[in-house]
Amino acid sequence: MATPPPPEDLEDLYEHAPCGYMSLQPDGRIVKCNATLCAWVGYSHDELHGKRLHDLLSVAGRIFFETHFAPLLRMQGYFDEVALDFIARDSTKIPVLANAMERRDDQGALLFTRITIFKATDRRRYERELLEARTNAQTAQRELQALNATLETRIRRAVEERLQIEESLARERQLAELREQFIAILGHDLRNPLASLDGGIRMLHGENLSPQGERVVKLLQGSTLRMSGLIDNILDFARTQLGGGIALKIEDDVEVQPVLEQVVDELRTATPDATIETEFTIPAPMRCDRIRIGQLASNLLGNALAHGHRTSPVRVRANAADGEFVLSVTNAGEPIPPSTMERLFQPFVRGTSGRNQDGLGLGLYIASEIARGHGGTLEAESTAEETRLTFCMPLTGNPVEPD
Amino acid sequence: MSSVERNNITISGNGSRPMIFAHGFGCDQNMWRFVAPAFADDFKVVLFDHVGAGRSDLSAYSSEKYGSLAGYADDLVEIGEELELRDAVFVGHSVSAMIGVMASIKAPGMFESLVLVGPSPRYIDDADYRGGFSRAEIEELLDSLADNPMGWSAAMAPAIMGNPDRPELGEELTNSFCRTDPDIAQEFARVTFMSDSRGDLPKVPVRALVLQCRDDIIASEQVGEYVHRHLPESQLVLLNATGHCPNLSAPDEVISAMRSFL
Repeated sequence: MATPPPPEDLEDLYEHAPCGYMSLQPDGRIVKCNATLCAWVGYSHDELHGKRLHDLLSVAGRIFFETHFAPLLRMQGYFDEVALDFIARDSTKIPVLANAMERRDDQGALLFTRITIFKATDRRRYERELLEARTNAQTAQRELQALNATLETRIRRAVEERLQIEESLARERQLAELREQFIAILGHDLRNPLASLDGGIRMLHGENLSPQGERVVKLLQGSTLRMSGLIDNILDFARTQLGGGIALKIEDDVEVQPVLEQVVDELRTATPDATIETEFTIPAPMRCDRIRIGQLASNLLGNALAHGHRTSPVRVRANAADGEFVLSVTNAGEPIPPSTMERLFQPFVRGTSGRNQDGLGLGLYIASEIARGHGGTLEAESTAEETRLTFCMPLTGNPVEPD
Repeated sequence: MSSVERNNITISGNGSRPMIFAHGFGCDQNMWRFVAPAFADDFKVVLFDHVGAGRSDLSAYSSEKYGSLAGYADDLVEIGEELELRDAVFVGHSVSAMIGVMASIKAPGMFESLVLVGPSPRYIDDADYRGGFSRAEIEELLDSLADNPMGWSAAMAPAIMGNPDRPELGEELTNSFCRTDPDIAQEFARVTFMSDSRGDLPKVPVRALVLQCRDDIIASEQVGEYVHRHLPESQLVLLNATGHCPNLSAPDEVISAMRSFL
């Protein structure tokens, strides 16, 4: 015959409830607990009686209980949902949630503390996963922040660079305006009085002058020619230095010989005591800038006249053959010192041995720029016997556009 | 920043002589709510929260400054200077007992006497010294704090909602008491339980009262006796109270021991 089921009474509910029960004396020792709790932790009722809650906790749990939950219990008379790890007899860890409530008498004296315990293994695992997820999210957020920070830095830098570029562009524009003004002033304001001076000298040519007067007029003519050349050079220098470059007006079928002859004639007139020998072999018209080639020749010849000995002739040779045009100007005189040679085609390099010190040192610089503009070269050789400057350019080459 | 805001300082009482209370690891100045009012008639009572606890300014927290107890002691001295404390009574619980010891050395004249409740100059055993814990046990505590801050602290907030039995513990309690930023709690635990302030005890320039509980797993009777022996001038009172928080569990006993000392 089967035994009748145990009656549903409070005693049985307490002992076999689906949760653990424990009551503590005021000194914290266990006075009563239920069978469910005994089964969980592996101790008998008798073994648990007289133990303290601490004895079921790890050392770490004890410390935390004593510093956080015990004060809380004293302060508010209860605590709810406190996470604890019980340590069972076999040393396994049992994660639990505990609720506690103090029972006091009418005078407020503590009688005992009742604790209800629920297993929380899954919940703890879930919490740990949540925690992990939170940690991961925080890490991702920190990475994102770091990324944003570098992004902001990069944007800031790009904006700064952009601003700098715009500023330098604005400066560039200002400089260009200044350059145009400067060149206009040079070209206009210096040339105009020179032109009227030149006109006056030409008028004097028609007059009946004394031999002394004739000589003075010739000197004046030479001076205006040289001054005009200086102004041209300064203008060109200003253009190249301020970013404009030397402007070339290339034309096809330029007859170069008459251009060279005119230059030689002008300089002969201006320096009557010098001898200039010419030898031109230019069978066909060339592609070049007529005015600039004249300016180049004038600069080379002017340079030779300034530095050469008057006792020997200055020789100007030009010939076009084998696809190349070569113009050379040779004079006798002191050799150019090596230190000057290195910088000969730089602006403001002036010879020290010539009789004529009033040049600006721009002639050879401008000449070399013109040579470059035509895709050609300008070279100098200087020995004790003679100094020779040689300009070469291809007859059919494309001239170089100015920078 | 003024330490008044930084440390959530509250001042009450009718006396002129100051008495300043410092809470230990775990909770905040509410730890003193059953003790401090007893001195309000005769003292100017000063309560505060350590930075990182209670309603202190969390933005003032830095791992560097509060990486040792000295940072907390500096704060205490700053509070004393700002409030112009002279000949004050310092009452410190648990780790704050040692913070008070350090401050009394740093600022001579600020305190007339120290009341040390459950003090321990070192929690980890060291040769013949018995602090009560092995290094491994403390490491386990620190690891568990890192492992389960939800169980330890975040879950505390809902746990202290509402208070039907003791309405005098108002809402302010539910929001701050025993609630700590998990990261700060972890660092404070490390600083507290790794500390070794034994060398400071003989340098204390003022008299001290050591209040020792029975059955205190955090600071044992042996440790209390050690503190008493190494202080130049001290009284040791063994309370009948058990546990680590007699200021909560046996406030009357604490109050009467303090009165007879003062």
